[in-house]
Amino acid sequence: MAVRIKVKNAETGATVEMELEHENTVDEVIESAATFWSKDMGAYVLRKGKKVLRGGTSLKDAGVRADDVLELIPDPEGG
Amino acid sequence: MAGRIGIGWIDEDRFERSKRVRWLDLQSVFESRVLMIGAGALGNEVAKNLALSGFRKITVVDMDHVVGSNLNRCLFFTPEDARRKESKAEAICRGIKRLSDEAEPEAVNSSIEDCNESIFSSSDIVFGCLDNINARLHANANAYNAGRAYIDGGMDGFLGKVMISLPPDGACLQCGMNRSHSKVAELRFSCTGKEVVFHERRVAGEVTTTSVVSAIMVRESLKLVSGRRDLLISNTVFYDGQRNVCEEMEVELNPECPVHVRR
Repeated sequence: MAVRIKVKNAETGATVEMELEHENTVDEVIESAATFWSKDMGAYVLRKGKKVLRGGTSLKDAGVRADDVLELIPDPEGG
Repeated sequence: MAGRIGIGWIDEDRFERSKRVRWLDLQSVFESRVLMIGAGALGNEVAKNLALSGFRKITVVDMDHVVGSNLNRCLFFTPEDARRKESKAEAICRGIKRLSDEAEPEAVNSSIEDCNESIFSSSDIVFGCLDNINARLHANANAYNAGRAYIDGGMDGFLGKVMISLPPDGACLQCGMNRSHSKVAELRFSCTGKEVVFHERRVAGEVTTTSVVSAIMVRESLKLVSGRRDLLISNTVFYDGQRNVCEEMEVELNPECPVHVRR
């Protein structure tokens, strides 16, 4: 079953709508959104509200529902 | 027995202002042993905050030496250090001693992967001031397995992050990682014939972000040693210096995380 969500780019505030299956994983959403925005090679996390979503989890198991807005955040590596 | 004071005594005590923070357990701060892994920009700022906050037993681990490009954000490094290729760990330890006579810093000129595991269990708190995911994973796993709190900081330009992992029940740094982290970690190693090339991704460095991230890291350690876990972040803070936004988020424990599966 398809689910339509929005992903927000934390760095620019831009959003993109994505049509996904419940079986799609958080990792797949991260990769698709990062590619769409031509992000630099780097680590990113996806959050729903205050929760950082687990990469290998399906959207269904992560509790993602239609019309949710998820946010793509760079996970900074430098020290 | 009655105490004895003189005129102006209130300005003689180095920690008089710290003592005004009622919940701060300064004696525990003085006695705690902390391990700081990484002596770059974040390491400089964390070391400064630790020394000024009263931490004395500070072990600094880093295998690198000072270079000119460190000097825009590293308090304890000088052009002379860069010219002489001084050890970063030793330069920071000298800086700590300049700030506090009572400090007993120890420099370890080595990668954390080459250190004996006992370096984790002999510390009360571990600070990750690292610049790559592989070293972070090593520090995170070893701190967790030793039952020590691990406070990790990361930065990229005006973006920052702090995560605190509290064994035995809390999520760890690796719980919050995904495939994008694995790809970055894999990039670091690429074999070209017999030689191994380290891909050192150069990340934007900016001292005001470093200051914010290091402040959060050391502040959390003050809460920990003072027994105020109720005040700790739970368990991650993302900082965006461009918008001046600081948000607390939660990484949940992943039962399939290698750190937890091992236990």
